[in-house]
Amino acid sequence: MPRFARDNGLSLAFGAIFLATLIGQAISGADTFNHGQALHNGDPISLGHYVTSAVFWADVMENWQSEYLQFTLYIFATIWLIQKGSNESKKPDRVGRESDEQQRLAAHAQPDSPRWARAGSWRTTVFSNSLLLVMTAIWIASWLAQSLAGRIVYNAEQLDHQAATVSWPTYVTTADFWNRTLQNWQSEFLAIGSMAILSVFLRQRGSPESKPVGAPHAETASSG
Amino acid sequence: MRSVRTMFVIYLALIVAGLAYAIALGVLEH
Repeated sequence: MPRFARDNGLSLAFGAIFLATLIGQAISGADTFNHGQALHNGDPISLGHYVTSAVFWADVMENWQSEYLQFTLYIFATIWLIQKGSNESKKPDRVGRESDEQQRLAAHAQPDSPRWARAGSWRTTVFSNSLLLVMTAIWIASWLAQSLAGRIVYNAEQLDHQAATVSWPTYVTTADFWNRTLQNWQSEFLAIGSMAILSVFLRQRGSPESKPVGAPHAETASSG
Repeated sequence: MRSVRTMFVIYLALIVAGLAYAIALGVLEH
């Protein structure tokens, strides 16, 4: 296996199935859309037209935002909350942001620590929160995109039925926007909550998402 | 680590491109 593929197996594999499923979503979404058009005596649209339309992007962004919210919240919550016995949690005595020594910051940095971990001042503050900052930014941007594209779809539907269109501030208070949002959030929160608690008593040999098979149920924060 | 950094940049670029397109579409198409 080429070195690039071996070193990046996880991100390559998930990037590939992301693209494959996005294509699948586009094809089945266009077909569904055209089925609706046929039922309403409308003209069918091409796949190219569909994948550049607000209908497609509202659906894509709706799912992106919930996934990024899930990780954003999990990164933040696991600083402060623990789940005894879970490898998704840290140990009870490390709750909080931890000491500079535990985090290998400033004077406690190693020679090969990232430059911004050694720099001190605002650079270290930014770098210390960079994962949460970037995930939050992606979540907010995708939720914004969902609302913008979702409004276009909503208004097109309104016009089809001779009803009034709505402004963006009004759209984000509609049941349509919150139904699209909350139906995604609930599944993410259930999945992540189950992962935290199921990993206490269940194992997958060889996965870092599980404790080692022989690890006691009460053992928290071990991976293997 | 260079190949890993390349992958990091590809992922971020893909995400930013998707977000930028969807936001632009939403802003321009009203």
